[in-house]
Amino acid sequence: MIRLVLTRLAGFVLTLFAASVVLFVTINVLPGSAAKSALGIHATAQAIQRFEAQHGLDRPLLVQYAEWLGRILQGDFGTSFQNGVAVGPELLKRLPVTLELATFAFIIANLIAIPLGAWAARRHQKGADRSITFLATILGAIPNFWLATLLVLVFTLTLRWLPPGGFTPFTVNPMMNLKQMIMPALSLGVVSSALLIRIMRASMLEVLSTDYVRTAEAKGASSRTIVFRHSMRNAFIPYLNVAAVEFGFLFGSVVVIEDIFLLPGVGSFVLVGIINRDYPVLLAGALAITLFVLTLNLVVDLIASLLDPRQVKARNA
Amino acid sequence: MATAAGFDFRRWRLVLLGGLLVGIVLFAAIFAPWVAPYSPFDLDVAKMLQGPSAAHWLGTDELGRDVLSRAIYAARISMQVALLAVTVGLVGGTLIGMTAAYFGGLVEQALMRAMDLLFSFPAILLAVVLMASLGTSVLNAMIAIGIVFIPGFSRLARASTQAVLRQQYIEAARSIGMSDIRIIFREILPNITAPLMVEAAVAFAYAVLLESALSFLGLGAQPPDPSWGNMLSTGRGFMAQAPWLSIVPGMAMFICVLGFNLLGDGLRDVTDPHMRE
Repeated sequence: MIRLVLTRLAGFVLTLFAASVVLFVTINVLPGSAAKSALGIHATAQAIQRFEAQHGLDRPLLVQYAEWLGRILQGDFGTSFQNGVAVGPELLKRLPVTLELATFAFIIANLIAIPLGAWAARRHQKGADRSITFLATILGAIPNFWLATLLVLVFTLTLRWLPPGGFTPFTVNPMMNLKQMIMPALSLGVVSSALLIRIMRASMLEVLSTDYVRTAEAKGASSRTIVFRHSMRNAFIPYLNVAAVEFGFLFGSVVVIEDIFLLPGVGSFVLVGIINRDYPVLLAGALAITLFVLTLNLVVDLIASLLDPRQVKARNA
Repeated sequence: MATAAGFDFRRWRLVLLGGLLVGIVLFAAIFAPWVAPYSPFDLDVAKMLQGPSAAHWLGTDELGRDVLSRAIYAARISMQVALLAVTVGLVGGTLIGMTAAYFGGLVEQALMRAMDLLFSFPAILLAVVLMASLGTSVLNAMIAIGIVFIPGFSRLARASTQAVLRQQYIEAARSIGMSDIRIIFREILPNITAPLMVEAAVAFAYAVLLESALSFLGLGAQPPDPSWGNMLSTGRGFMAQAPWLSIVPGMAMFICVLGFNLLGDGLRDVTDPHMRE
């Protein structure tokens, strides 16, 4: 068990290191544009040179990377090229917003997907199954930023029930926080549920066709017992893997949704970094999202190993 | 439910429905100059923000341009980006996947770990970061989205190649001294195209979504060129006065993505031996 955890951890650290190299090189591959963006298009060649020297952008990429990594490891994410604000504290301030949005969306996605997927599997090839599968196809084709726009059109502009955007921390005003978060979370969650419905259905179908479920049925176990006691737990293992990937995907998709609803999260931070060519901001935001996704995958990988009956058996032996 | 002619409609219905929707979008994209009632760039400030009418079926935008014509021309950009992006992903991913599976060992380890790494980035984030580096343009959007697709195609190509490598005809090809390149392209490639084509249909849908998202953020197609993403982005500013500006481009994206998804699902069902029972 310890060996498994250590192997996975080593893989995680290596991947994170490689990911940081990819991000750094990709973002820094075009020299000069950051200076132009920060100083304006009329900046003189001397001003650009001075800016690059000041921020160390004129040195070899490898040296720049080594220094950046060294600072990151000490918790220093640098300062914004645009306004000189420290990036690390700003990122920490934004992280809870994105985390809340992604978690809220993930809960919505699962609340839709788990019962519908399980129900479709139980009613395999009947009307309910076909309707649910069709619904999943429809949901999967809706662009989340379009759904967001439609929600604003209905709930803000027509019914006037919800605010168009903005963010109030949950601790300051829980009701306002929920009102501001429900539409962004629905836009992400409803669309994400499409894939999860299919996965839940497929996982349940596989479990429902196993010998032990057939035995339980033959012994006269009720439908409820079969679904909840015998099938769900085993169906959750493959489901969990895909759901984690989907959660990571949600975390990445916040770039667009945060922009629409003016949420001050990591996604809008990344976007600001891109539009202003603000390398420290962009790098920190992108790295934070990647770190989150990788950590999530690691945790799920470990949980799946713990839940897997074959591994449990090996541990007990 | 086989018909008299032996055509199994039930088996092919998803392919037909998806094909129909994709056909409509492709027709609009290819024949845009003949199908669109107006030029997508014709300004007419006297007619700005007009609702749907006999003259402008889907209304006009904030500059008096015909929304239907812009949505039709936007299909061109979406299809171009999706076609090139999927080609980049398909070719790149297939070559990497086949090479990894065929040579195995260190080559496989190195290539697939690199693919795992690319896969660890959320797709939209990777596309956005690549766009930041490449610069905003339609061509760069194609390349960025194509790179996003490479890991997915490479995993599928590797798995399919591994299955083919176990076949006797590969052993036969090796025993008569056929070169590696020849085996890969003449023996393996034709036998792994079916699953890759199914994946390509699904990737097409995803490419349309990604291109629209990038254009929506202002990183893809630039105004005045119409793209569903930038139309929706502009339309959001006039949601109260002109809701059709937000509804039309979204509906176009939805129809296109639904078409490709149905086509992908249908092709998967048709090519999957388990579904034939």
